Amino acid sequence: MRIGSRSPSLATRMIAASVALALIVTLVFAVLIDAMAALDESKQREAHSKDVVAATLAVEKLVVDLETGLRGVVITGDERFLQPWVEARETLPARLARLERLSADNPAQQRRARVLAAEIEEYIEDYTVPLVNIAREHPAAARTRVAEQEGKRRTDDIRARVRSFLNTENDLASASAVSAERQSDRALGLAVVGLVACAALIVLFGLYLVRSIARPVREVAGAATRVAGGDFSTRLSEGGPGEVGELTVAFNRMAGELERSRSELESQNEKLRQSERRKSELVRIVSHELRTPLASVLGFTSVLLGRDVKPEDQRRYLEIINAQGRRLSSLVNDFLDADRLEEGELEMSRRLIDLGTVIAEQVQLFEGQSDKHRLDTFLPDKELTVDGDPNRLAQVIGNLLSNAIKYSPDGGTVHVMAERVDSVVRVSVRDEGIGIPEELQKGVFAKFFRGDADASGIPGTGLGLTIARSVVEAHGGRMNFVSARGKGSMFWLELPTAANDQ
Amino acid sequence: MPAAPKTILICEDDQHLRELIRVVIGENFHFVEAHDGEEAVELALAHRPELVILDFMLPKRSGSDVLSAIRRELSPEETHVIVVSAWPDADEAAVAAGADAFLPKPFEPEHLEAIVKDVLRDP
Repeated sequence: MRIGSRSPSLATRMIAASVALALIVTLVFAVLIDAMAALDESKQREAHSKDVVAATLAVEKLVVDLETGLRGVVITGDERFLQPWVEARETLPARLARLERLSADNPAQQRRARVLAAEIEEYIEDYTVPLVNIAREHPAAARTRVAEQEGKRRTDDIRARVRSFLNTENDLASASAVSAERQSDRALGLAVVGLVACAALIVLFGLYLVRSIARPVREVAGAATRVAGGDFSTRLSEGGPGEVGELTVAFNRMAGELERSRSELESQNEKLRQSERRKSELVRIVSHELRTPLASVLGFTSVLLGRDVKPEDQRRYLEIINAQGRRLSSLVNDFLDADRLEEGELEMSRRLIDLGTVIAEQVQLFEGQSDKHRLDTFLPDKELTVDGDPNRLAQVIGNLLSNAIKYSPDGGTVHVMAERVDSVVRVSVRDEGIGIPEELQKGVFAKFFRGDADASGIPGTGLGLTIARSVVEAHGGRMNFVSARGKGSMFWLELPTAANDQ
Repeated sequence: MPAAPKTILICEDDQHLRELIRVVIGENFHFVEAHDGEEAVELALAHRPELVILDFMLPKRSGSDVLSAIRRELSPEETHVIVVSAWPDADEAAVAAGADAFLPKPFEPEHLEAIVKDVLRDP
């Protein structure tokens, strides 16, 4: 599972946050640079306005010079007083042209400059030049013209126009200054806001790092300490951005694995302990089961060796010793078989045999063992041919007979029956004994299963039926039972027939 | 004139062992035999034997159960009990339950004989 596909990884988030910060800083600087440029431009504009004003004032002074020269010559008639007029007339065209050029940035001002130039031109050519000529030839007439005040009116007009031009220029300059100031104020405001935003973002970014990395990492460290202390049930709440989410998921998976393998280990240990207990229980059972026949063997041999025994008793004792020796041998074989079953290697030596004969021999062997039990046998006349190991099958039948007798402590009849049913030979051994309670029936074929036989004092190893069923199954047959508490049990087995009549 | 033979109750589910015990102890006693725990208690109360030889693992009723049932009715002076068991560690339980002696299986005939003589010795 990948958390990263659900939420962007931490690396992506950090890169995004860094890029956002860089963008904001760049933006703030751009705004500041723009404001500085605006201020610069406004300064240039101011300097320009000063130039224009200076040029205008120069023109006005020249106009005054014109009038001064004119008045001087008209009033005195002396040509020397005309000098300012002459110089102003020479200089003015260039000054006016310069003014027009300087006001080129504002079309309205340029137009005004042109009108001013035309008016001055007209004043010079239409008024002053003729008046100078009149003054040279008819000084009295010239003085009248002066008295008529036309000259004053004209120069007043011109000066009014110059004033207006100057005022406009000043207005323009101050408007530009105001706009530059406003712009720089705005830029400053933006820069402050941007810097504050940057600072806030950096703090937020730090908090985010603490929340999304430092705290989860601390939690993981705490959980890891608990796991190290043996508490494998520790789990983190899964989730968190990107890599942190993956870390919590991976941590939980690790803790889960540890918990699982520990419980596996514990259950294995428990199994080992159980198997140990069973082994020591087996040793107890083995030694106990061997002791009773051993007691007979040792006891009777001691009696035979150490006492005078009547000949008929001698034979009886020897028979008992022989039978108990066989019992010992079969017990030892049972334990070995149980061991081989564990390894899965039960030895078989199979050939064609008559199962009826095997059953008859076993019945004969058990008949003399108990005076309280009667063995009632039903065998068909025809041979019950099977392909089997005669010793193993004798062991199975013997086990069923011995059980039937052992678990009928009050005596009774044991019914032994064998018959051919279709393709199988079916054998059943039924007793009238204590039966098997329903709750214990499930374990009957389990190794060392003794039901409540121990409490009843019935001896045994709990191996017989386990071995018997394995033997029957190794012959390709099956084995089972029906039983009811207090009413007895019937164990049956079926082996495939080997008769060649079908 | 010798006194009447003492009665010995043998409680043992293996018939060969019962016979062995009988043979070993000898013919100067009157023997009563029980196959299981229930029979053992019944016969003990009916015959009030001088000695009970008791296998601790009997069908139907355990040896210790039989022993406590006997001890409720018969005093240790009247009836002695020798417990026989294939569990060698049953001796303490046997003595605690009121047995006079404990004999582990398998046993030497001489050992059994000696214990019986010791327990039945006239005070």
